[in-house]
Amino acid sequence: MSDATGVIHDIGYQRYTGPRLGRRQVFGALYLHGVRTVFGLGRSAKAKIFPWLVVSVVTVVAAGVTAVRSQIGEVVMTYAQFADAMSWLVIFFAAVAAPELVSRDLRSGVLPLYFSRPLPRGDYALSKLLALVTALWLLLGGPQLVMFLGAAFTTNRGVRGVWDELLDLLPGLLYAGLWAVVFASIALLVASLTGKRAFAAGGIVAVFLMTTPVVGVLSILPSATVNELAFLASPPTLVGGVGTWALGDALTQGQGGGMPIGDFGPVYAAVAVLLVAGCVSLLLLRYRKVAAR
Amino acid sequence: MSTVTWITARGLFGRSRFLMLLPLPLVLIGLAVLCRSLGVDPGQWGPPVLVGLGLAVVLPVVALIVGTGVLGAEIDDGTVVHILTKPLPRWQIVLPKLAVAAGVSAVTVGIPIYVAGVLADSVRLGLALVAASAAGALAYSALFLALSLVTRRPVLLGLVYVLIWEGLLGRFVGGTRVLSIQQWVIALADRMAPTPLLGTTVSVPVAAVLTALVAVGFTVLAIDRLRSFSVAGETS
Repeated sequence: MSDATGVIHDIGYQRYTGPRLGRRQVFGALYLHGVRTVFGLGRSAKAKIFPWLVVSVVTVVAAGVTAVRSQIGEVVMTYAQFADAMSWLVIFFAAVAAPELVSRDLRSGVLPLYFSRPLPRGDYALSKLLALVTALWLLLGGPQLVMFLGAAFTTNRGVRGVWDELLDLLPGLLYAGLWAVVFASIALLVASLTGKRAFAAGGIVAVFLMTTPVVGVLSILPSATVNELAFLASPPTLVGGVGTWALGDALTQGQGGGMPIGDFGPVYAAVAVLLVAGCVSLLLLRYRKVAAR
Repeated sequence: MSTVTWITARGLFGRSRFLMLLPLPLVLIGLAVLCRSLGVDPGQWGPPVLVGLGLAVVLPVVALIVGTGVLGAEIDDGTVVHILTKPLPRWQIVLPKLAVAAGVSAVTVGIPIYVAGVLADSVRLGLALVAASAAGALAYSALFLALSLVTRRPVLLGLVYVLIWEGLLGRFVGGTRVLSIQQWVIALADRMAPTPLLGTTVSVPVAAVLTALVAVGFTVLAIDRLRSFSVAGETS
């Protein structure tokens, strides 16, 4: 054997000496990517079908409500009632979006790549959660803005009417935020348990649908206390209970339709906070350790 | 019992995710027992438990998960090729899988709904509910099995049907109830055991004919789709 004849040529590789973006930029990039993923932006047409189906249905309903109001002058539903009426669509949207956000990463086994970056475990989960909350809030808030614009341009009381309408809109947007936080934390927790998108979607819908009839049964039991606490059993009615307590008339605008929760308003708020906190901490716990595949 | 049946059943039961299905029937039984033990009037708790939970949620969701699972899971991970390359006529693949899906759904739903029906009214109502939900399970399974061959996202499309068509439109737009498996099941159960607990606007002959039509039609569609099935990679 002759001596080694190989030569390592210097072909000009250089170290990167520019500024290195930190943790916040990683978080921001992951968040933005998450929001885009939910709506299928930057992805194929197939990925856009289901999110935009829901968005268009919700917008059409809002436009219809606005049209009725401007033509007949009758308020069909308030901003908060709009969120309540759309609950099934919100559930479906969450079932489409949450698996896209987390289940795909689990299935394709890219989490070790993510976590080999300066990205703490918690940041990954929280950025995905924040993305889903934003998307759900946009889903409910956007149509409410359509309703507001319709009402603002058809008001016959000038600036005063627009201002009153705005005061009605703000609690509605807050309420939509509450919906978004509760639904997103539950849906993302369920979705993060399985890598199969189909199973994650089924699981999310099962969780939300299964609890709804429980409320119906609990509210007819022969005990006033149980009846007033019944709405705790299901996420949509839990949100409704918190809204009834915290926003009161601002929510229903004197139309009635609040939940008969008696004096248990603070209990509802506490349970909602506990539920979200529990789901988020379980989610963080779930990402403490991830399998490579 | 053919090999395909055996493989399908093992694929369904052999994974821990099948346990995900258990809470649904348990909640149904639990609520019925709770109401009965507290002495609530069956006229009040019957409709929300039997129809609201049993026929509107447990039956479609179980049928959806099982029905898209029997063939959809294999298509998803690509092992369907192993079955397709065997010298079997396509109907010998579809029919056993459909039988397993419908059987599993019918049993999973039938037991709790029988218990709830007996607690609510009588053994007759329980048996009627079991028979009707078995017919419903067959129709749902055929629908979802065909869906998993027609599209790559069968669960989401199935959810659109269950949530939006049956749930949302069925409640607000009365006309869509004629084309809703859930209403057919209610009509059939009400015919076999007339009680004030179940009520629907769909007539019984229409329900019976349409249930049979859906079951047969979607099975034929599934066999036809499997005949010209192309194996594709994961879609984005």
